Amino acid sequence: MIIFKNISKIYPPDIVALKNINLHIKPKEFVSIVGRSGTGKTTLVKILVAEEPPSKGQIIVGGWEITNIRESEVPSLRRQIGVVFQDFKLLPKKTVFENIAFALEVCGTDRIKIKEVVPQVLKIVGLTGKEDRYPIQLSGGEQQRVAIARALVHRPKILVADEPTGNLDSINTREIVDLLLKINEFGTTVVLVSHNREVINSINKRVVTLDNGTVISDQKFGKYFL
Amino acid sequence: MASPYRILTFAWQSFWRNIWLSLVTITIIVLTFISINFLVVINFITDAAIKVLQEKVDISINFKPDVLEPQVQEIQTYLSALTQVKEINYISQKEALENFRQTHSANQLVIDSLAELENNPLGASLQIKAKNLDDYSEIITVINNSKYNNLIAVKNFDDNQLYISKTKNVSEYVKKIAVFASGFFILVAFLIVFNTIRVAIYTHRQEIGVMKLVGATNWFIRGPFIVEAIFYGVIACILAILIIYPFLNFLQPYLVKFYLTEDFNIINYFNENFWQIFGLELLVIIALTIVGSIIAIRRYLKV
Repeated sequence: MIIFKNISKIYPPDIVALKNINLHIKPKEFVSIVGRSGTGKTTLVKILVAEEPPSKGQIIVGGWEITNIRESEVPSLRRQIGVVFQDFKLLPKKTVFENIAFALEVCGTDRIKIKEVVPQVLKIVGLTGKEDRYPIQLSGGEQQRVAIARALVHRPKILVADEPTGNLDSINTREIVDLLLKINEFGTTVVLVSHNREVINSINKRVVTLDNGTVISDQKFGKYFL
Repeated sequence: MASPYRILTFAWQSFWRNIWLSLVTITIIVLTFISINFLVVINFITDAAIKVLQEKVDISINFKPDVLEPQVQEIQTYLSALTQVKEINYISQKEALENFRQTHSANQLVIDSLAELENNPLGASLQIKAKNLDDYSEIITVINNSKYNNLIAVKNFDDNQLYISKTKNVSEYVKKIAVFASGFFILVAFLIVFNTIRVAIYTHRQEIGVMKLVGATNWFIRGPFIVEAIFYGVIACILAILIIYPFLNFLQPYLVKFYLTEDFNIINYFNENFWQIFGLELLVIIALTIVGSIIAIRRYLKV
């Protein structure tokens, strides 16, 4: 369960990025957050993963109030929320296997466990056999799959995808969206941030529309209408 | 909790996979080591020069011919008790005469004149060496104020005093330059090393961001950089040693030629003080790189 209660974010001196956002996202739900560029979608993601604190309001993730989370608690939160970005954020000097294993290594997972878990997530994202390749040797869609695999490796309850198809062609976009839907079917809450009309319209799940930092629409089986 | 083994592995991977940046960083640290050791060499050379000069400086006291040997020995005992005195050589009347004869053996007139004299015209003398250049003036003051002053015919300290004061001035001047140069080199070294680490961390900023994203703790992120900094320091120190020793071997024959003595062996000096010189330098360089890493990485941890 993710709860945003009256969340506002104001950047000094007086730039309002988010204004009184109230959202309840249930476990195992698939929610698309849509809106034009600069409407506060990414700010919402940043607040969710504790990259930035809200200026006002309260945020609760899985019963944990993270509004004023301590610096030392952030790593623990990030291990519970998988995040993927438009630019993949892969390490170019690490192989596919190492990029995914990295997320487990930083938490102190032992090598035997890593060797067991990484092939499993590679299978889920359809990259079995490509574990020794470097990101540069992969297509955009494959790179995003690696990023998703890395986000999934902790078996998080929540997966946040911030414009995951922004750098992909239509075929790869479809594959990534299908993968996100598959992950959601396994029981992971998925928060998809996008301004891609086709993607949103094809999903037929809950759509929250932001405009000028406020929620202007929240539909159970929504469409992109902006 | 991440294991030290993993931190070590990440550091080693980062070191090899950014080998060119690692080589540049190591080169700069090697140059820093060489410049600091160049100062050690300069200090050694100036110290040796001062010691050579010090050896050549002494005070000669010539007694009146009628002063007897027991009296001279009494004065020698009195002066030996002074803390400033390093050694005293006693030259008896007989030895003084013999030395005089040898010095003037080519001058028959002087030799004949000596033969004419019934008694030995030369008095005994004492040659005094002080522990430090500063001590000569104090020894002279003690002699002047002692009850033995009227037994002395000639004290040749006046000429030496000028020599001593000039030597002291030169040595103090050289030391001041060395201290200034040391300070300058250390400052330059710090700035270069700090900046190199900043560049290294800047190139890793993406990796740091990803580490934060996947839930790495700040200490886990700092760990490999700190270990990498230690790699840089240790490798640079070994390379610097491999460069400095052949240079010392090259320098040593010139020192022997210049000082006309083998008492000053710079290779032995470095061997005897190996851990004090290289150990201390390594510790300082590592401490510097670690502090530099922690400062440089700080801004990238705020994600």
